[in-house]
Amino acid sequence: MNLEKVLFGFFIVLALTLNVAFVVGDIAVPDHHNIWLLFAAVVVNLIATILKLGDRSQTGALLLATALVADLQLIASSLIWTFADTTAGLDALATATIVSLAVGALVANIVSVTLLVSDTLISGR
Amino acid sequence: MSKGSDLDRVTAIVLQEMRRPLTILLCVNALGIAVMVMIPGVEGEGMGIFHAFYFMTYTATTTGFGELPSEFSDGQRMWATVCLYMSVVAWIYAIGSIIRLVQNPHFILALAQSRFAKAAARIREPFFIVCGFGDTGSLLARGLSDQRLNAVVIDTDIERIKALRLRDYSVPIPGLEGDASVPKNLTDAGIQRNNCKGVVLLTGNEDVNLKIAVMTRLLNPKAEIVCRSTSRAHEEELRGLGSVVLADPYETFARELGFALHKPPLHTLDEWLVGAPVNLSNLVSYPRGTWLLCGYGQLGRWLYRSLSDWGVKVVVIDPDPNATSEVAEQVTGLATRANLQLAGLAEAVGVIAATNDDSSNLAILLAARSINPHASLIVRQNSHENELAFNAASADLIMQPSLVTARRILLRLISPMIQELLEYLEEHPQSLSEELLPRLTAAVDQSSPALWTLQLNAQQAPAVHAYLANHEDYQLGHLLRDSRHRERPPEAVALWLRRGAQRLALPPEDTRIVTGDEILVCSSQTARGNIHANLSNPYSLHYLATGEELPRGWLMNWLRAPAAKTR
Repeated sequence: MNLEKVLFGFFIVLALTLNVAFVVGDIAVPDHHNIWLLFAAVVVNLIATILKLGDRSQTGALLLATALVADLQLIASSLIWTFADTTAGLDALATATIVSLAVGALVANIVSVTLLVSDTLISGR
Repeated sequence: MSKGSDLDRVTAIVLQEMRRPLTILLCVNALGIAVMVMIPGVEGEGMGIFHAFYFMTYTATTTGFGELPSEFSDGQRMWATVCLYMSVVAWIYAIGSIIRLVQNPHFILALAQSRFAKAAARIREPFFIVCGFGDTGSLLARGLSDQRLNAVVIDTDIERIKALRLRDYSVPIPGLEGDASVPKNLTDAGIQRNNCKGVVLLTGNEDVNLKIAVMTRLLNPKAEIVCRSTSRAHEEELRGLGSVVLADPYETFARELGFALHKPPLHTLDEWLVGAPVNLSNLVSYPRGTWLLCGYGQLGRWLYRSLSDWGVKVVVIDPDPNATSEVAEQVTGLATRANLQLAGLAEAVGVIAATNDDSSNLAILLAARSINPHASLIVRQNSHENELAFNAASADLIMQPSLVTARRILLRLISPMIQELLEYLEEHPQSLSEELLPRLTAAVDQSSPALWTLQLNAQQAPAVHAYLANHEDYQLGHLLRDSRHRERPPEAVALWLRRGAQRLALPPEDTRIVTGDEILVCSSQTARGNIHANLSNPYSLHYLATGEELPRGWLMNWLRAPAAKTR
């Protein structure tokens, strides 16, 4: 067992699970989406990105790309939340947009975990 | 006329053929529209040009659709009837022209040529041009496909090209019906492209082969020419072109037979390398003594020379008394039962049936077995189609000149290093080949072997290049291991190493590799994929060399750095 791999896998999978936790629920109902979950998802995604920086292998490059996509979408999502919360308040439209962006990030996170798992299986060590 | 591409030719033929029908269609429509505008309608006013055009369009294409946009006057109806017949005739003529065009042999040829050129241009990997798709050509194409090497085929016989299209090759092999000595066909095949590595000349006509060789040398001085040749006069001319590899099917056959009789491990290895189904652990050896050689044509002569060189006593049976002046012992006549007995088959150790007729060869086989059931039987198979009959005859060794030649050429095309290796093994004691066989069997393990070249340059092996630039050395044995199971022995056998002008046969595991090395490797296809993946993965390379995992990413590197310092 390699402690580095545990840490690496932990953050990548946690990024996915937190993302799912935020997204589940009716897309337009603000009460179904806890903003603290979004906050945690953004933080964990950023940590995962930093861990992926500087990997010189092919898979490393792809993993970094997926992480950047997820970051982009989650940050856009939180910016919209900030804007909506400070002006008109969270209505159905704003909530739907925030959650849609988070779903996009979720897809990127799924790709990331798939890559991680398949690379581990193929390299087999 | 400009010397445009095939696509231009196709377009030109279409335009030429369609010029008249299109003109007629245009005239009919223009006349119909013009008259229709002039004829007064129900209200007195005729239709406008737009409405008349609309009417002609639907009338011509659907032979009438009703009276649109408004009801017609009698005058208009009369003209509409005329228009209808006129346009139907014009359309039938136009459609007939299209059908004639599609059946036009020039058009079909131009289309096939343009398709071939496009298919050939799509090949990005190194490829070979094979001229002639007979027995040898098709066996070679199969071999190339098994090794995942790209090729294009040119043959004058359309039936052979049709047969080529029906084969299930692992790589696309486009075929063109045409004369390969026409430069246009060679350029269509991509001879002037950088990734064209060579041209293989296997047409039945030696003059055509020579002509193609000359064209090839002119069009692409770097391409390698491999030519099947049986005539000495042509060989002299071909050698004059420089860097031409000649493959004489008879000479190759005789050489292979000599190895089969006297150096069985080398022969088996040779067969196995090209993917023939042979058992490496079960070597066949032939007894020493007198051999009967039936048939003394071109092949017979080579066989006699080859066997005499090995010190074997040969008795020739051939109907022509004059052809065999250099032979010590001969029985003149066909290889009948009586003549076989006369030649001393009862005491001979074996019979070689080498006539150029498959049914005589099989008959000799049957006769020989009934006279002396212990004699070894070696038979020449001329036509690939008779394979089943030959397999049923259960000879000790069946050899096809076309197959032997195809294999020799294939090995040459895979890598010139194979030839160097075989020559090295030939010069050294037999024990060397005997030791190599179990190593190969262990590495490849039941699957069909892949022979490939490991090129340790910056493009093909970027990670190795970087590693060698930073560290002192890397061992060959580490590179050839499975990155999942470092502790296991290498899954590939390095056969030959080229380093500049240096040559190293069977490089040992602890050989230090250097950037620019070319290594001939034999492994299974899976292992080939694994090793290729490692060539660009710095982490796998480091793990294979040291057994430790490098930290991935800057953060992990930074976290590890103080720990490494305190150590």
